[in-house]
Order: sequence, then C-alpha cells, then structure tokens
Amino acid sequence: MYVANNSNGERSQNWEAQLRKGCLEMAILASLWPERLYGLEVLRALSEKSQLNIAEGTLYPILSRLKAEGLLQSEWVESEAGHPRKYYWLTPAGRRRTREMATAWKDFAANLSALMQPILGGTQR
Amino acid sequence: MNTETTNPAAATDVRMDAYLNRLATALRHMPPAEKQDILLEIRAHVLDSVAASSDRKGAVDRVLRLLGTPEELAQRYDTERLLTRASRSFSPWLLLRTSWRWAKAGMKGTVAFFLALIGYGTAFGITIALILKPIMPSRVGVWWGRGDLNIGMVDHPEQMHELLGQWFVPVMAVFAFALAAGTTQALRWLMRRRGTIQYGSPMSF
Repeated sequence: MYVANNSNGERSQNWEAQLRKGCLEMAILASLWPERLYGLEVLRALSEKSQLNIAEGTLYPILSRLKAEGLLQSEWVESEAGHPRKYYWLTPAGRRRTREMATAWKDFAANLSALMQPILGGTQR
Repeated sequence: MNTETTNPAAATDVRMDAYLNRLATALRHMPPAEKQDILLEIRAHVLDSVAASSDRKGAVDRVLRLLGTPEELAQRYDTERLLTRASRSFSPWLLLRTSWRWAKAGMKGTVAFFLALIGYGTAFGITIALILKPIMPSRVGVWWGRGDLNIGMVDHPEQMHELLGQWFVPVMAVFAFALAAGTTQALRWLMRRRGTIQYGSPMSF
C-alpha cells in the first residue's frame, strides 16, 4: 500500500494505520478461510499475503473474542516442538460472516477504486 | 559471564516464566480454565517465535516486547471479554462499567461512556423525582417559568408553573423507562458493531 512520504507523511501514516486496524477482524477471519492455523501462523499468513503486520499482543485477545462470539472454534494439538499449539478454524457462522465481509469489501473497494482512478491513472493533472 | 550467550534455552525460560507469572497475576479475574488457556497459548507463541528466529540472543526480549507488557496484554483480554459479555446483556450496571473500561481504550469507547452516563444518569434522576413526588407533591414536577424548564425539585414553585399535574408520575415513569431502555439498546449496538477495539497504546501495527 502506498504511504505518502512528504510533510504530511505522519498524518497519512496514522490514517493508514486506522484503515488497517478497521480491516483487522476481516483479515484474521479471511486468513483462516483455507485451513486451520495457530496464532503465529495467522500472523505469518497476514504478513506474507497482505503485508499486514499485527502486533502479537493485539492478535491473541481478538482470536479469543472471535471464539467467544462463536465465529471460531479451537483445539489444542500436540506438536513435534514439544508443546501443544492452539489451532483455530471457522465455524459455519464464521464462514458466513467472512463471506459477507468479503462481499462488502469487494463492493466498497471497487467503488472507491473507480473514484481514485483519475488520481493514480496519471492521465489528468 | 553472560548466561544468555552460553545457554539461550535457559535464559528463554527465566524471562518467559517471569512474563507468564506476571500475566497470570494480571489475569486473576478470568475464569481459571480460560486463564490457563491464555497462558499456554502465549507460552507456545513465545517458544515458537524464538525457535523460528535467526537471532536467538535478542529473540526472547523482542518477542516479549512485541506482546506488550503482561498487564497491557491482560487488559486487552479483559476488555474484549467484557465487551462481548456486555453486548449481550441488558444490565445498565454492566454496560456502564464496561463502557468505562472501553473509554480507556479509545474514542469510540469514550462516546459510549458519555452516552451511558447521560442516558442512565437522567433516567436515575427522574426515578429519584418519582420517589420524592408522593413525599413533596407541591415541589416535585416538570416546571416551566422564567424561561427555564426544570424536571424535579425547584426552590420557588410559586414563581413557576407545573406542566404535568397528576400526570407527572405516569408520564415521567414511561419517559425514564424509555430513556434507560434506549440507552441500553444504543450501547449494545455500539459494542456489537465496534469491529475492532482501538487501543490508545502506541503499539499499533
């Protein structure tokens, strides 16, 4: 994502941080769409696939809340590392919610992209 | 002699255990099963993160720093848990307490807290007036006079006139109830569609 690097840089970075924060829950749910993951894998999936770097201390309480809301289910699985890991996956309600969010996001992004097109297209000044 | 360089695994355990002990203390209000789950999960996170790191020496400190202090982390769990519970509750006391906690976390929470304070506060004030009405029937009412509207008690009832008369109790009882119920619904709605909580800490992502 583009970050303005001028005198207003700090302000636009703050704005961008807010935007990313708003997408956090959707991104976490989306990362669990293909397969079950444990916390660290969610962090890695987000940073690899979307350059979304979530603070560790933010992720775990949100996972715990999404579970309490019935959108996620979890299970402890023994690992070769010698300690169990807590895997999360989407419940049917969670899959429904994620699909709704993805649809809403797609429409929203398409509309905004149309609005931004002249700015980034570079055909007009 | 620096133990960190000679025995990174042992150093990991000491600092991690200290962190987990503080976290356990900070999570003392949680149900024990939930607390145990959190401690195990954070422990697994630290062990996995350190194991995956190329720079073992600084890894423990870095991983622990990224989690925030144990107290900050515990407060995030607490706030998430309270908000989930309160958004399903109809108890003004729980909603007010939760919005106070939420207010410390950011702007949206502050709005919710003031809404709770004004909504429930006014409903409570009217309830007091309803209780006082049979005790001081000539002083309690909805008063109009000197360009002012007053609900409750006035010092000089002779200079103002009362608008509701015998309707004071039924009308104001319905009004207070509707106000409390409306505030409750508004708070539940805010808490449900909060999306994600905006933390005031600089540890954004």
